[in-house]
Amino acid sequence: MLKTSLQIVGIMVLLLAVTLVTLTLKNQNADGPSVLFPGGELVSGQLYQGAEPDWAFTDDIFTIELQTIDPISSRRIFIMESDGKVYVPSGYMRSFLGKLWKDWAFDVEDGSSLVVARIDGVRYERNLLRLNDPAVADGVAAKLAKKYAGGATPEAVAQIKQSITDGDTWIFEMAPRSK
Amino acid sequence: MNNTTYAKLCGGIALVWTLGLLFIPPFAKTVEQLMLLFLSTNAR
Repeated sequence: MLKTSLQIVGIMVLLLAVTLVTLTLKNQNADGPSVLFPGGELVSGQLYQGAEPDWAFTDDIFTIELQTIDPISSRRIFIMESDGKVYVPSGYMRSFLGKLWKDWAFDVEDGSSLVVARIDGVRYERNLLRLNDPAVADGVAAKLAKKYAGGATPEAVAQIKQSITDGDTWIFEMAPRSK
Repeated sequence: MNNTTYAKLCGGIALVWTLGLLFIPPFAKTVEQLMLLFLSTNAR
C-alpha cells in the first residue's frame, strides 16, 4: 500500500516537472507569453509612435503583454490607468513563490527598466518607474480594486494600499522613454 | 507493480503528457490555468 502511494506521488511529481520544463521551453522564444509562462520578444504588432495616448482605453483591457529588454522575456500582466498615467502591478513580491515567479520586477528594480508593452496588438516602448508616492498610490489602488478585486470598496482599496505599503505589491508607472 | 513496469509507465505517461502539451493547445492552456489557480490561491 505504501509503495503504491509513493508510486502515485512519484507520477504526480513527474507530471509537474515535465509540465514546467516543457512549457518553459515551448514559450521562451515565442512572440509573447502564454497564460502563465514567460514568452520571448514581442515582434508582431504596429510600433506606436506619436503623442502620449489617452490611456483610459485600458479600462476595458484585462491584461497586456509586457516585455523586458534585459533580459528579453515577456509576461501577461494587469494594467491600471489613473490620473492620465498607466501602471502595472507585481504581486507576491515578499513571498517565496514571488521571488521565483516575479524575477522581472526585481530586474526592473535593479535598473533594467526599459520595456515594450503590447496592448490590443499595438506595441508601446516604455520605461518602468517604481511608484513610491502614497498620494498617487491611492488612485492606483482604487483602480486595481475596481478592475481586479471585485470593486473599489473601502476595504478592498485599503487592503491593496496596505499591500503596496508593505512591499507585497509593487506598482510601476509605464512612463514614456523620454521621461 | 515492480520497478521495471513502473519505470516504463512513467516514461509512457511523460511522453504522452509532453506531446499533449506541445501539440494540443487547449490541453496546455487547461494545465496552465490550473497551475495559475493553484498559485493565485496558495502563493503567500
